[in-house]
Amino acid sequence: MNALADRVAEKNVASTFIYTYEAHPGENYLHLTSMEQKLQHAHDLRDKLGITRDILVDTLDGACHRAYGSMPNMTWIFSRSMQPIYKSDWTDSNSVSNAIDYFLDITDRRKDHERLAPFHVERLDYRNADREAFYKGLERNGPKAVEEFRNAFG
Amino acid sequence: MADNDLLTRYNYDEFIPEKFQPWMQFNESPPLGEPAPDFPLTRLDGSAVTLKEVVSSHTYTIAEFGSFT
Repeated sequence: MNALADRVAEKNVASTFIYTYEAHPGENYLHLTSMEQKLQHAHDLRDKLGITRDILVDTLDGACHRAYGSMPNMTWIFSRSMQPIYKSDWTDSNSVSNAIDYFLDITDRRKDHERLAPFHVERLDYRNADREAFYKGLERNGPKAVEEFRNAFG
Repeated sequence: MADNDLLTRYNYDEFIPEKFQPWMQFNESPPLGEPAPDFPLTRLDGSAVTLKEVVSSHTYTIAEFGSFT
């Protein structure tokens, strides 16, 4: 997602990472109890995970996250008028890349004075499901996070 | 500020279905093509910003929601 952000930045596309909560609290990253802790975790996302996009931190009660469906790793694309034009319940950079390229083409078509009308489409996209890599991510949070995920999903 | 019960339930302390599944309500999220709700957010430097302020200053905004995992 960082690479995608870099690719489309010059086309006036903002890319943000909204830090929500700890989906898999563990010994290294405990469940959140204060805004100070939440901000520290968000700094670690930048400094330890290497997220180069603008990181924004939700309120401690997750007001924004909850209003948008509370999925642990979802992605939304908004138009300038604050209308969501893409939403996915999981994040996959290929899916997001495909979508933003489509919308940027819409912008070009409008500049060419093509008359356009919106319509709804449903599509089943596919994300990387590398369980081994996911477990490595869980290990960052600590053994508790690994054990609880294994108990829930095997 | 939200009540303590909400804070505790949202920021659950263990990943077990009874605690994480109630929050997964993507099917009830805002629809596409209609103005979506705005919310206050905080930058890493501690300054305040709103989702709308970010969104309204760009042609498009990609917003990924997430945590460490």
